[in-house]
Amino acid sequence: MRIQSHRLALMSLGLWLAATPHVWSQEDAKPNPAKLEFFEKKVRPLLVDNCYNCHSADNKADGGLRVDDHRGLMQGGKRGRAIVVGKPEESLLIKAVQQTDDKLKMPPNKQLTEEQVAILQQWIKDGAAWPADEIPADLLDRPAEYDRLLKQHWAWQPLQAVTVPADVSNGWARDDVDRFVWAKLQEVGLSPVADADRVTLLRRVTFDLTGLPPTPAEIRDFLADPAPTAYETVVDRLLRSPAFGERWGRHWLDVARFGESTGSARNLPFPHAWRYRDYVIDAFNKDKPYDQFIREQVAGDLLPAKTEEQRREQLIATGFLAIGVKDVNQRFKVRYIMDNIDEQIDTVSRSVMALTASCARCHDHKFDPITTSEYYSLAGIFQSSDDCAGLRNKMGGGGLDYYDPKMLLVLPGSSEPNPQHAARLAAARKAADEAKADFERSRDSADADKPAPNGKPRRQVARQKWNRLEAEYQALNDPTASGAVAMGVRDGAQIGDTEIRIRGEAEKLGPVVPRGFLKVVDFAGQPVVPTDKSGRLELAQWLTSPKNPLTSRVIVNRVWHHLFGAGLVTSVDNFGVTGDTPSHPELLDHLATSFAADGWSTKRLIRRLVLTRAYGLSSLATERHQTLDPANRWVWRHSPRRLEAEEMRDATLAAAGVLDRSRPQGSAAAELKVVELPNNGAESQRLLAVARASHARSVYLPLLRTLVPTSLEVFDFADQGLVTGSRETTTVPTQALYLLNDAFVRRNSLVLAESLLAATDMEDRGRIEAAYLSVVGRSPSQSEVERVQFYLQDYQAAAHEALAAEFTAVAQREAKAQAARQRPADACAPLNIADETPAGGGAKVVTDQGAGVAVKQAEPPPKLEPVQPRDARTAAWASFVQALLGSGDFRYVR
Amino acid sequence: MLNSNDLNGADLFSRRAALKTAGTGFGYLALAGMLGLQNRQAQAGVSRVDAPLAPKVQQLAAKAKRIIFLFMEGAMSHVDTFDYKPKLQESDGKPGHGGGKLVASKFKFSQHGESGTWVSELYPHVARHVDRLCFIRGLHTDTPAHPQAVIQLHTGARVASLTRPSMGSWLLYGLGTENQDLPGYITINPSPNFGGAVNYGSAFLPAHFQGTRISDAGFLPNLKPEVVTPLQRRQIDLVQEMNRDLQAIPGAPSELDGVIESYELAFRMQGKVPELLDISREPQSVLDAYGVKPGPAGSFARQCVLARRLSEAGVRFVQIRQGGWDHHNNLHKGLIANSAATDQPTAALLADLEQRGLLDETLVLFGSEFGRLPTAQGADGRDHNITGFPMWLAGAGVRPGFSYGATDDYGTHAVEGRMHTMDLHATLLALMGLDHEALTFRYAGRDFRLTDVGGNVAREIMA
Repeated sequence: MRIQSHRLALMSLGLWLAATPHVWSQEDAKPNPAKLEFFEKKVRPLLVDNCYNCHSADNKADGGLRVDDHRGLMQGGKRGRAIVVGKPEESLLIKAVQQTDDKLKMPPNKQLTEEQVAILQQWIKDGAAWPADEIPADLLDRPAEYDRLLKQHWAWQPLQAVTVPADVSNGWARDDVDRFVWAKLQEVGLSPVADADRVTLLRRVTFDLTGLPPTPAEIRDFLADPAPTAYETVVDRLLRSPAFGERWGRHWLDVARFGESTGSARNLPFPHAWRYRDYVIDAFNKDKPYDQFIREQVAGDLLPAKTEEQRREQLIATGFLAIGVKDVNQRFKVRYIMDNIDEQIDTVSRSVMALTASCARCHDHKFDPITTSEYYSLAGIFQSSDDCAGLRNKMGGGGLDYYDPKMLLVLPGSSEPNPQHAARLAAARKAADEAKADFERSRDSADADKPAPNGKPRRQVARQKWNRLEAEYQALNDPTASGAVAMGVRDGAQIGDTEIRIRGEAEKLGPVVPRGFLKVVDFAGQPVVPTDKSGRLELAQWLTSPKNPLTSRVIVNRVWHHLFGAGLVTSVDNFGVTGDTPSHPELLDHLATSFAADGWSTKRLIRRLVLTRAYGLSSLATERHQTLDPANRWVWRHSPRRLEAEEMRDATLAAAGVLDRSRPQGSAAAELKVVELPNNGAESQRLLAVARASHARSVYLPLLRTLVPTSLEVFDFADQGLVTGSRETTTVPTQALYLLNDAFVRRNSLVLAESLLAATDMEDRGRIEAAYLSVVGRSPSQSEVERVQFYLQDYQAAAHEALAAEFTAVAQREAKAQAARQRPADACAPLNIADETPAGGGAKVVTDQGAGVAVKQAEPPPKLEPVQPRDARTAAWASFVQALLGSGDFRYVR
Repeated sequence: MLNSNDLNGADLFSRRAALKTAGTGFGYLALAGMLGLQNRQAQAGVSRVDAPLAPKVQQLAAKAKRIIFLFMEGAMSHVDTFDYKPKLQESDGKPGHGGGKLVASKFKFSQHGESGTWVSELYPHVARHVDRLCFIRGLHTDTPAHPQAVIQLHTGARVASLTRPSMGSWLLYGLGTENQDLPGYITINPSPNFGGAVNYGSAFLPAHFQGTRISDAGFLPNLKPEVVTPLQRRQIDLVQEMNRDLQAIPGAPSELDGVIESYELAFRMQGKVPELLDISREPQSVLDAYGVKPGPAGSFARQCVLARRLSEAGVRFVQIRQGGWDHHNNLHKGLIANSAATDQPTAALLADLEQRGLLDETLVLFGSEFGRLPTAQGADGRDHNITGFPMWLAGAGVRPGFSYGATDDYGTHAVEGRMHTMDLHATLLALMGLDHEALTFRYAGRDFRLTDVGGNVAREIMA
């Protein structure tokens, strides 16, 4: 009755009227007080005293069993249900304490008294009564202020049809966007500053659209193009460049908290996460409509696909939901699942709608009108879906214990089906099973410790054989062995609604709530979750409906943020009550409406914005402007911004002329086995070394959580744990130390210096110009040239003596290399080396003790030579280039 | 006209700017208080850059200026070291509460000092200092697995998949750093797993509040100047000239002040920090007192010396680590080896701080992520216990020779003076002069605290 009344309460609130009927289980019936008293007085103390050390939340769940959690006890552990209600004779719990079965005797080294066993039998016979979790009386009460908030808070009101202000700007405005900006500036009594000069504008738009600096040739071409459409031409060129997707895809990867490992308590790699990364980059390059982009990430597996290629793409898209931080060492499965669901709810709600829905996990949202019931109506959708990250939770664990290849999405058409595969798999399974039986026989026999022919104990030999065959089976059975796989989600085997968890505690069950969406976005004709499907497809439709005002507002605001330095709503990930209010509410709605009407095209939105007069403003400021609006909220100028970490690194490589613009295949993380990666371990060091040696764009570096490459980490790389729509920009001495001493910066400075000096067709003045163009995207002034000339002379003179030892070292190294080249080719024949390489394509095979499964080690990263200039002149030039890379001119886009 | 919303915007802007720039000196205004926003009207519309790492005005009367945390990773068996349980000693072999068989400690306990505190024979050196120690014996935490418990101890996060700022970051955010030429938060030899960098990360706090990791040999990347000083100075001067040119342009990035200062600070750090990290500069007698020796066995001793040098130089939070306490088996020999590695150095650190007059302003914290059960696991082991375990504090702000709280007769459950991890955090912040409920950071729509929604300060332990 109690539960029924809750359900009625829900219905009377008018929530989820279309919800599916729920079959109430026996567990929901309220047990009578006498039986409960018997449990509390007799049964619980017995369990506490005898079982808790191995089977409770404060300790662990040995064998997967917990006796302090009703559902845990009912579902049982690895051996199956611990209790069959009403039937003590069929209950494993009773069997265990009776100790009649040699393989199941509990508690260990102890026997319960007959009286104690009888208590347990009685309890099970009488229905195994268990007190219901105490449900707070107000659990389902809707906080009083919610209705007001629903009606009043700006963010979730429908998009307003807005009128573009009349153009009174005297020809200043170029686009409707400018007319909104102008009107607001007028209102606050400010006027826009002058337009940016062409060189500044080119550098700005090139970084903003591609994350790369303009090349000297691009600068010259643009300056030489007299056409009034010259800038438009540049913009279109940039939008067509693959670098566009690498830049804007990275913005979304920040929001999607992209990382190639679990992070958290045990850091395990995600070897397939890179597919999602490439999907995102491609989506931006293809200008995939944003609504479709969201639908694919939330429910790509449930969308129709015309081709196999499309199907693959849509499966990979759902990686969005699977790549979050995961605590695989969580010992209780129910908590592992609920934590991952929470992570998914947080990511989806904040990335798409800038709503902090996960605040409602433990209690009704303190600020926004989101109830705990609504949270669990979303949770039901995710609980009905498999989180395919290739992992399982486990307490303790080592080696491949956490790896679960069944929890991966196999991509269709990834390889020709091998007709022999099934037969080989069956044979391998049979061999492993036989070896296991052999081992068990040998273990239990009297000869177990006697030596086998190789001198080792027979038991050990049998064990090793079993381990080896098991590993062979595992390797064959791994989907990655027979084809391509991806991380993502799929509808689970069990589809259904879930219970509210009281105070967010996974085991504390409140009433079941029907699957559904949040009330903040409630519109006529919104999709309904079907009984037999997870509801993700409907969630995706609800998110991307033109009637959902948040989705379009949030994305246009994110784009504005990246182009103008701050969003129209500065709290880009939080449109809730505690977030910012829009500086230009009408402009925001105008952009959101026209974006959706224009086919949700991100490229066209960006094109439109960078062609506005507002975007092209100079970054110069006057005292008056600075005093009245220091944050440039009213867009009277273009706000300067610091380059992001990737831009710093990519631009350094580009300036040195060594940036590799091609997309590398996969990721260095793709080679990793799914075993824990300690921060100081060899694999971790190798990944960091790969990143150091790489010339690829930063978006393609291995980005394992807590193992972010130094060159990105020092300049405020995105927090990979949470949705990050806006990165920090700090200014700290470790950045200066990096720019002064790190080999990456010094090496690329030296490379550019050497190539400048190698150019025989120019004089030093020309070289200085070329360095400025390459590094800071502009020509130096006369006084800058003179200053550099003086610097070079002075430095060179001082370096002659100070760096003499380095020059000698370089000369010796070069002489040695020269000698090696002249040696006959057969002197160091590589043939013998190949003979020594074990089978398996040159990779070294070692055995991981924890799992007894072969772990392949990837190739070592290339060794980098020390960074040393050959002579004082080169040293001086390298030092000058490095100084340019350290300058504010390089670091900031204005 | 600016309306009230705009004031908030400008206000937030200047606060953000303040939190993001590490410059000091150069005539910056000191942050008026950690929360710095009381004077909203006055700040509004003024673009200024403050110094987030500058020493801050504290909220409460501070008892300690610095913390040194000696982290015993893996869960030291308290019933064999610092939590004497006579009843357990009498009950060897009897059934234990919750299942299993009680096993008495194999190590002899005796009373020490005027306080008569019981310490086992594993810690003879530390036992000489018991009258300086303040035990908290009623600790408990939430998850009986190392990774989660280690992360919770360091960041307060009860769910390990939620990345939160570490306690050192919160302290730095709240207090700034004392020595502008040094990082304010240093962790030596941190756990490579169990969350790894999460345990000294700044999460959503700005990056300069994160801990700086150094090895137990004192290695810090990019600290060594790659060219001789006169040449590097020339280069820095060129950078600074370029930056000042840019700064002269109206509307130049406001962070340029910070960039210029960051170069000067980096230059000074190159000079000072390596010296500080070079423990061979200590007299041999000091090294001997700590028991410094080469190799892994001397790691903790080296860390103790480094900790004293860094703390003395004004590093706000220094953490050092001894691993290997997870004695599911090999309890006996394991405890002997680990206590041998930590006893003398820990005692020497206390004596050294005292001798230098630093113990009055330095808070020393010693302990593990949780304790171990009094029952046997296998032939020679003990399993995890999160329901009751001790730590000890020494130095600034705490009552010496004092013991607060207790576990039950067998060391299983905290029964008196119970302190959850959040209470420990609240108490540490209070000792440092910070109100844990007011030390907040707005992120993702809510105000985050180290202590989340809990935390009670254990005033009883304060001197």
